[in-house]
Parts: sequence; C-alpha cells; structure tokens
Amino acid sequence: MNILELTNITKKFPESQLPAVNDFNIEVIKGEIVALLGESGCGKTTILRMIAGFEIPDMGQIKLNNEIVSGNGIFREPQKRRVGIVFQDYALFPHKTVWENITFGLFRLPKEVAREKATKIITLSGLQGLEKRYPHQLSGGQKQRVALARAMAPEPELILFDEPFSNIDSMRKHQMREDIREIIKKTEATAIFVTHDTRDVMTIADKVSVLRQGKLMQTDTPENIYNYPANAYVADFFGKTNYIKAKISEDGYETPMGMIKTNAPLPASIDNVLLSIRPEEFTIKSEGHNCFCGSIVKEKFMGEYKELTCKVENPSGEPTEIVIYTSPTVDCSSEKCYFKPNEGKINILNDE
Amino acid sequence: MLSLQMHRQLTNPWIWGAMFAALIIALPLLVVFSNILIPGDDTWMHILKNLIPTYVINTLILMAGVALLTFIMGVSTAWLVSMYSFPGRKFFSWALIMPIALPAYISGFTWAGILDYTSPVYVFLRNHLGVDTGQYLFFNIHSIPGAIIILSLALYPYVFLISRAYFSRQSSTLFEVAASLGKKQSQIFFGVALPLARPAIVAGVSLALMEVLNDYGLARYFGVDTFTTGIFTAWFAFSHPQSALKLSAYLMIFVLALIILERTQRGKMRYDMLGAAYRPIKRTTLDNPKGVLALILCMIPFLLGFLIPLIMLSYWSSLTLVDVVDYRFTELLFNSFLLAAIASLVVTAFALFIAFTVRSFPSRFVRFLSRISTLGYALPGAVVAIGILIPFLWIDGMLTFFSSPGFRIALTGTWFALIFAYLVRFMAVGYNSIDSGMERISPSLDEASRSLGLSNMKTLGKINIPLLRGALISASLLVFIDVLKELPLTLILRPFNFDTLAIRAFEFASDERVAEAAPAAMIIIITGMVPVFLLNRLMAGKS
Repeated sequence: MNILELTNITKKFPESQLPAVNDFNIEVIKGEIVALLGESGCGKTTILRMIAGFEIPDMGQIKLNNEIVSGNGIFREPQKRRVGIVFQDYALFPHKTVWENITFGLFRLPKEVAREKATKIITLSGLQGLEKRYPHQLSGGQKQRVALARAMAPEPELILFDEPFSNIDSMRKHQMREDIREIIKKTEATAIFVTHDTRDVMTIADKVSVLRQGKLMQTDTPENIYNYPANAYVADFFGKTNYIKAKISEDGYETPMGMIKTNAPLPASIDNVLLSIRPEEFTIKSEGHNCFCGSIVKEKFMGEYKELTCKVENPSGEPTEIVIYTSPTVDCSSEKCYFKPNEGKINILNDE
Repeated sequence: MLSLQMHRQLTNPWIWGAMFAALIIALPLLVVFSNILIPGDDTWMHILKNLIPTYVINTLILMAGVALLTFIMGVSTAWLVSMYSFPGRKFFSWALIMPIALPAYISGFTWAGILDYTSPVYVFLRNHLGVDTGQYLFFNIHSIPGAIIILSLALYPYVFLISRAYFSRQSSTLFEVAASLGKKQSQIFFGVALPLARPAIVAGVSLALMEVLNDYGLARYFGVDTFTTGIFTAWFAFSHPQSALKLSAYLMIFVLALIILERTQRGKMRYDMLGAAYRPIKRTTLDNPKGVLALILCMIPFLLGFLIPLIMLSYWSSLTLVDVVDYRFTELLFNSFLLAAIASLVVTAFALFIAFTVRSFPSRFVRFLSRISTLGYALPGAVVAIGILIPFLWIDGMLTFFSSPGFRIALTGTWFALIFAYLVRFMAVGYNSIDSGMERISPSLDEASRSLGLSNMKTLGKINIPLLRGALISASLLVFIDVLKELPLTLILRPFNFDTLAIRAFEFASDERVAEAAPAAMIIIITGMVPVFLLNRLMAGKS
C-alpha cells in the first residue's frame, strides 16, 4: 500500500530563477525506507519540507495514505498530517527535559497510555536513565536518538529525516546508521531521509531517488542504481566508472578498443551509446584469449583493493584508458594486462 | 485557479488577524496622508503663507545642526572607545549611552535653569567669583543654537551605539593592512573606517533626526517654531483641525524623505566583511597626554548630557520633594505607571502576534504587513495623535446618534485613544525586540512542534513564549519607558484633567517652576536608566 505519493511536484522560490523542485514524482510503500540523494541545493530538503507541510508546492499533488494533503485546492497544515520529522539540528526543545520532549506529541492521549508509549520508545532507542536531562546535557548521538524517539512516539504515518548523519562524527556514523535502521524496521515505520552521502543510502535505504537541480534522475534500489545508473551523473555520484563510447551490433558492443561480446539481451540497435562499466567489474586474465590487452600506466595500492590504469591502444585513434579495481594480491609486475568486462555488468547510459 | 499559497493565505486566521492589525495601525497614517490632496481653506492659506516658511527653515536648521553635532560626538567617542585603551575607556563605553535616559525636554529645562539668572550655579559664581555675564550665564539657551546643543546631547547616543557596534564588528585586518601601507592613524580613520561605517552612521543620524522631528517639548520650551509645535498651534490656538492635519501631512513628507535617503544610501553598497577572516580589534594604548585628551573628549558629552543635569535635578528634587510629593503626586505616579504598563502589554501582545505570524507563514505579503504596522515609529507623535483624533472625532459624532442624555460613549479623550496611539507609535519598539529574539530561536523548533500535532497557538504558548521570555521582557520594558516619557502625543490625546509624569514635569517647567518639575523628571530618568544597565550587563556577559 502506498503511504505517500508525490505527483508532478514543482516548487520555485521567488528569489531564484530555476525551480528548486521540477516535476518530481515518487511513491513510497508502507514499511519502506527511502532516500533522497543529491548535492546540496538539489531540492531534496525542499521535497521533504513539502511532504511535512512546511512549504507549499506550486504545482502537483501530495497524497498521504491515499488522501490529498496538498493540491487540488487542498492544503493540510503540518499539525494535521501525522508526519514526524527529525531535523538536521535535531530541534530539541531546549527548555524541556528528554522526557518532556518525547511526550510532547502525545498530548492527546490519556496520561497512562502516553507514559507507556514514551517508556517503550525510550527503551527501544536506548535512552533509559536520560529522561530528566536537558538537551544541552546530551551528546550529539543522544540528541539524535531523542529527536528520533520524539518523532516516533506519536506513531506517525511517515517519518522524515533531514540529513540525519551530517552532524555525527564519522567514527559513530556507522553504528548510528545501523541503530536507526533497526529502530525503524522494528516499529514497522515508513521513513524518508535526505542525504548527500551514498554510504548512508547503501546502509539504510530500501529505495533511493537521485536528484539533480530539482529534477529526478532515477529511482531504484541502491544496488540497481549502483550497477545500472541511468546516466553519467548518477554513475559518478556512486563512485568511479569507465565510460566507453560504443555502437550496438548484433552480438555485442563495438568500442574504439575493440568488440565487447555479450550474451545479454541488447536494445534495438541504436547507433551511438555510452557504456558505463564499474572498475571492479573487470576480470584480470593471465593471457589474451577473448580479452582486451593494455599496458599498465598507473598502479595504486588502496588498502582493500588495487587500482590499475590500463591503456588500450586503439587502431584508429586515441588510446582508451580503463580503470580497474583488482585484489591487492594480484601480481601486476608485468607491463601487459589482459582483462575482460563481467557479463551482465555492462550498462548503457541514457546520456546523449 | 488560485494557487495553494493564495488559498492558504485567504483561509488563515493568523494572516487575517495580521491584516486587520496592520490596517488599524496604518489608519492614522492613511488619514493624515490622504489629506494632502484636499484643498485648504483661508486659515490654512494664512498658515501656509505666514508660518510655514518659518517652520520649514527652523526645522531644517535644527536637523542640520543636530546631524552635524550628533555625528561629531557620536562617531568620535565610538571610535575612541572601540580602537584605543585609555583611562576610563571601560566606563565610558557604556556611560556614553546614559544620556538616552534623559529626554531632551527635561535636559532642556534643566540647562535653562542652570544658565538662568537665578540659578544656584550662577548665583554662586556671581557672588563668590564675580562672574557676571548679564541676564544669562554665558548665553541665552532659549534659541535655535541652544535647541541644537540640547537635542544633540540627548540624541548622540543613537549614533554612538550604532557606530560602536559597527567599529567593533570590523575585522582588525582591514586597519592593519592600511597601517602596513604606511597610513597614519588619522588617515585610517578618515580614509578607511569612516567610509566603511557610513551606512551605520547614517542610520544612527537618521534615528536622531526622527527624534528631532518628533520633539515638541524642547522646541516649545525654547520658543523655536517647528512643524511639530505648529501642529499644536493649529490645533489648540487656532482650533483648526484641518490645518493641524495638513501640517502633519507635510511633516510626514519630511520623514519619508529621511527614510528614503537612508535606504538608498544603504542599498547601494555592501560593506560587510563577507568572506574575510574576522579578527577582533586589538586596542592601541594611548600614552599621555593623548590618553587624557581622549578621556576629556568622552567626558564632555557624558557630563553635559547626563551627569550635570542629573545632579542639578537631584538638588532641585531635594528642595521640592516635600512639597511636591503629596497625595496628588502619588495618584499621578500611579496613573503614569498604569498607563505605561497597559500600553506596553498591548504593544507587546500585538508585536508578538505579528512577529509570530511573519515567522510561521512567511510570504512577501505578510512581511509587507509587518512593515506597515511598524511604520508609526518613524512618525512624530503629534502626527500620530492628529491621525487618530480626526477619525475618532468623526466616530464620536456618529456615536452621539445612539446616545441619550446621561449616557454617552466616546472614543476621544479616553485611555483607549491614548493606548491605541501608543500602539501605533511604539509598535516598532516592541516588534524589533521580539523579532530579534525570534531570530535566535531555530525555526525547526516551531516546525518540530507542529509536526508533532500542536496547533500554531499551542506552539506559540509552549515553545515560543517560554523561549522568548527575555525578549518579551525587554520589549515591554522599552515600550513602558517610551510611554512614560512621551509628551506630544499624550498632550493631544489625554483625557480631560489627566496628567502623566511627563506632562506634569513639562507644565511645571513651562510655568518657570523648574525645581518643582524635578521629582517627576527624576522618576522618568531613573526608570529610563534600567534598560541601559540591562544592556550593559548583557554586553558584559557576551564578552
């Protein structure tokens, strides 16, 4: 069941020329954790704020639980949306204790029920013993847990996170991601979070939407986006890749460095396409049968892997440089290098 | 189809409320302004021909003189206390603000009393030292130069405060660069610091000039005919409301010209140190005799603008306290404080409401409403009073239709009219204080509260008001003091036979009973000193 549906959402701020969000669409299923990923200023936070009701879209429709909350002349105020939000600065009420912060949204419930719920979420977030403290007496990680607990206590339809890990030092980040995912999954909540860090996406999200300058580039699982990015922007965002110009022929791709044969289904022949092959999707071979042959021009030891740059001579023009990640134990003492892209990991980009 | 934004604005009770508030606050201004277009009658033609030229010339001379003097006093002392170390620097960095607690009309009659033939100072000098300069000690203060000096002594703190804040915000790197290029201190001041601080200085001088336009008490006491005194003449002497209204409209043009001047010169350039590394200024120690010279320079405005008048008033108070403070005086005190307290509560409530609406539902329209509702501070009190009196008289005329003998409802000459006028005039005082307090609260706190299901009203009560406590107190305190010392507006709108401390002090002084005016004046001054001390404590806490 769709908890949230955004259709053709567009928002322009009066002080800027371009729309902050341009014709954005997304559907979120109950129980999902969705990430909105992009550089700062790409419109991801604006989308979050429109879902919460803090910004009003110029166009498009927002449906929460199959009810229109924005669009068609309807606008539901944030306090009536049942959407929780965890702010980047946590926004804990400085004049209230942890307990008062967490019970803040439970004012409609009978006292007993509210106490029970708050106690449950406090235990779940590992905040026992901190109930009487004030926000300034908490560490960054504790503040975030309180912010999360406060947002979750009224059991909202949807929880939004604005850059949840940007204020956490990198040592704690990993644990924090795990914890938050666990809490969300345990309570069967639905969540959307905004981030610029692909590592956040990989560890937490079930689904990710990549945005660029207010436009949706691609929505898919993190794994699919990594392996099959829709365009060069998305491909670059998730890490290094090799771009190879190609023509599609009957049994594979014709590239400047030679033919890449494949058994995978090919799209109807388009003349010029751009291929993206991740550096780790090459297999190094010891001899040259059915392989490309290049000379190693650079070799970098990166810890868990080794980065090789191979130059492949091109009979009819510029040589092609291919970056390959390989196991650090592979011996690369010889100057020649034979390699082959892995079957099924050759991705055609939508770029021109 | 209406956009959602419009739809939300049209259905939002907060925005409707703000619209209503802005409208009633803007009403007096509209009344005055619309009057420019209506042709005047014979009385007006007489005023226009025979009196207006004097008003214009006197007002312009006053403004020019005060601009020059406040600039010199305010900027030089601000520069000294922010750039140099010298004996007494720390004391003067806040003591130089003190004259702000002394309204110009009080300082005016105090100095007139000091320089008068019968003043204790003159008597002492004459009898013991043989100094005899005729009818006055040194010079006749009841003159335009006298008014310029007194107004400047009371108003230079505006320039001092803003320039000092500006100088201390400047990074020392700029001055160090200039020094490393071989510039002398004087060249740095005139070539770098002064041009950089220009927007701040102009803002400070503009504030001082608005107070000059607002002043009634001093100009009347010194016999200088200005626009504001002209409004009183038209209203009380000629009993010609239409002329008072027209004079107000003309005075408003002065104010608008001043505002536009200030805005345009500020808008052209940006002098903020964006991007540059900020390093606080390291003060240079001044050796003697330069240090002593700096001390004397700072001493002059403090002594003349504050300490000497205060000592004189204390002396007079000690003489007259027993006679003046009777049952009627306590009633007067109670009335003044009650009026100021009610007004400050009303202003603070309105200011909080509008500031919260702007914060919660920001849009160009709402910000425009907030700007309209704070416009009254730029307007002289007499203009505001006339702008309220005219429509209120008209409403009262309508109301008599419903009244019967023994039962009359009226708006004019009531506390309601007075408080409404204070609201118009002092809204900006409360608003600015609350708004800057609001800015220190992260907007995500409000949003968190609303996303947790609390209505806007509950968010205001549970989040904003507790966190704004300091700003709310300072807003109501500032309004309280402004109301307490307010003169022109209160004189026009007060209920029959109703006096405030300010009016009583002014009336005693006008009757040449300066010593009897002293106790009331002292109360106004002492109350006015409270925020200066608070401000000083606040600054001490920050550094």
